Amino acid sequence: MKKTIITILGIVLCFSSVYAQEILKLDPVKKIDILVPEPSDIAHSQDGKSLFVVSDNGYLFETDLEGTLIRKADYKGLDVEAVYVNTSHVYVVEEFTRKIKMFSLPDLILEKTVKIPYYGGRNKGYEGFTYNKAKAVFSLFVEKDPLYVFELDENLEKVNEINLGKLARDISAATYYDHHLWVLSDEDRTIFKLNPNDYSVLAKWEIPVLNAEGLTFGADGNLIIASDALERLYYFNNPENIQR
Amino acid sequence: MKNTFCLLFTLFIGGFVQAQVSFSTGEHNIEISSRISTFYNQRFLKDGESDRDKNRFRLRDAQLIVEGRISDQWEYEVQVDFADIGANNSGDIDPENPGLMDAFVTYKGLDAFNIKVGYSKLPYSRSSLTPFPATTYWQRAQFVRGDFFSRRDVGLTLYKDFWKKRVNAYAGIYTGLGESSISGGGDNDASGNPEFIGRVDLSYPAPMKYRQVDYVHTPIPLFAIGINGRFANKNLPEGEDFPDGAAGEFGLKLIDGKKYTYGMDFTFQYRGFSGLFEIHQIKAEPQNENDALFLGLTPDQTEGKILAGGYLSELSYFFKDIKTIVSVRYEQLDLNDLNIGDSKRFSGSLAYQLKGFDAMVKLQYFNNLNEQESLDPLDWNSQLRLGLQFNL
Repeated sequence: MKKTIITILGIVLCFSSVYAQEILKLDPVKKIDILVPEPSDIAHSQDGKSLFVVSDNGYLFETDLEGTLIRKADYKGLDVEAVYVNTSHVYVVEEFTRKIKMFSLPDLILEKTVKIPYYGGRNKGYEGFTYNKAKAVFSLFVEKDPLYVFELDENLEKVNEINLGKLARDISAATYYDHHLWVLSDEDRTIFKLNPNDYSVLAKWEIPVLNAEGLTFGADGNLIIASDALERLYYFNNPENIQR
Repeated sequence: MKNTFCLLFTLFIGGFVQAQVSFSTGEHNIEISSRISTFYNQRFLKDGESDRDKNRFRLRDAQLIVEGRISDQWEYEVQVDFADIGANNSGDIDPENPGLMDAFVTYKGLDAFNIKVGYSKLPYSRSSLTPFPATTYWQRAQFVRGDFFSRRDVGLTLYKDFWKKRVNAYAGIYTGLGESSISGGGDNDASGNPEFIGRVDLSYPAPMKYRQVDYVHTPIPLFAIGINGRFANKNLPEGEDFPDGAAGEFGLKLIDGKKYTYGMDFTFQYRGFSGLFEIHQIKAEPQNENDALFLGLTPDQTEGKILAGGYLSELSYFFKDIKTIVSVRYEQLDLNDLNIGDSKRFSGSLAYQLKGFDAMVKLQYFNNLNEQESLDPLDWNSQLRLGLQFNL
């Protein structure tokens, strides 16, 4: 009996080719509970004065930098999981319908809807969306099984598809900051800094946030993470300024 | 050589497992998935025992699952296990593997509560509600396998969540025959009476899913506590019996009389550790003094009732870096308080994730520490079960 168990343990360990790497753990400097139900992504406005927050329940909100509600779009989507904002529009991604919705920034009126078909699991669809300035494409991230990134042109038409392999167990959000792509993994509780041209990992940090679903950088370069389950924003110093 | 083999095996499985496929019109989304699991079981018999028929390979699951959602108001699911349909052709339904696993429709368009109708899992027992693919064991604990209370039935469930989904409340009415409700033409037993079930659970500080393993190494302690109860008055008319097999292996699943079942569960997750404690009691009041559950004792001795019950406790840890989960379980069971003794079992399990929970090698070790010999004699001391689980 003992030999059998030892043999099986040996087989299990031989499969275990992944070993832990030293990874820096970040500590938040501030936490704020927000009134947005189940926040599933956040994006910092280009003027640095507000946050756009989307909810699993299908809503789009604008809040101040402390998470206080400023306005809400007249819109009810299905499983909204990603948001990106530029100087003229707010882009919202619905995981359930596989649609990207484009709202005008001044009045949050829906201007355009584009469907990007994807036949993976219903709850394993689009989770991250941002504009990749280095390649001049939008990057649309699939959550898992497999981890895809779809590149879209300015008309939101798919022009490329890349399998990110075993980058993380899942991806729950993405943003572009300081000439790099940054993605968040909820299941790994990890932030990855990626080369925006080939999506290779340049650095990573562990965060103590439960159910982290949104990330963005503030005008001051510091990091904001949204926890869906706790309906809370976590504020971190810029991870690249932290000494190992 | 060994490492090369391991690498090739992992790559093969990783490429094979691609999980669900879905189709969407925008408003209507249909997802199709399948589940296959198979194991080899080896029993270590007691001295003098010679029946080795349980030493075998077995196809546990061969399931096809179709889940649909229309807008955010309607949901439906049909889940069929072809392996169980084949195994149940003999007429006996395994309550843990009943063939038809789910066939229900849910309406979420009301503010007050959601409505689920059809055949599905019953809102009783956290362990029972935890999906099999999310566990590291090949078999659920004895008390929650479906021999003491049904795990599925046909009926109506109303449910609602509160306080940011931290509180979930369920209430339902069902045929009361459990997994046997869908056989025999779908008729009720001769009493014609239903079963009522209610459950409330509270999680803090965030909502908790019905999961055994802390696979994200949650950075803050999460707790959940649940209480549940169920009642059926199944007084059969004279000369009538329950459908074959409906009363379960120990005659406790359905009582010719009144049956009260109540239980509570507590679970936690923190930094890869997770634990579950669950306790249940059945109070049965058979209408006939000569009911077999009274074990031939007089009404003065039995006071017209019998009690059965038990508890289970599980502790698990997820070694994230080596994708391995280790879990231990201890369970106690008293089949009838009119009979002296109880049974106790220890189980250990080890699961290696080839690709998350969608592809796992699972090993379970069972050890029969003590048994209630006159009510449930066993011919084995321990057993090992090793196999593969795929969600495709």
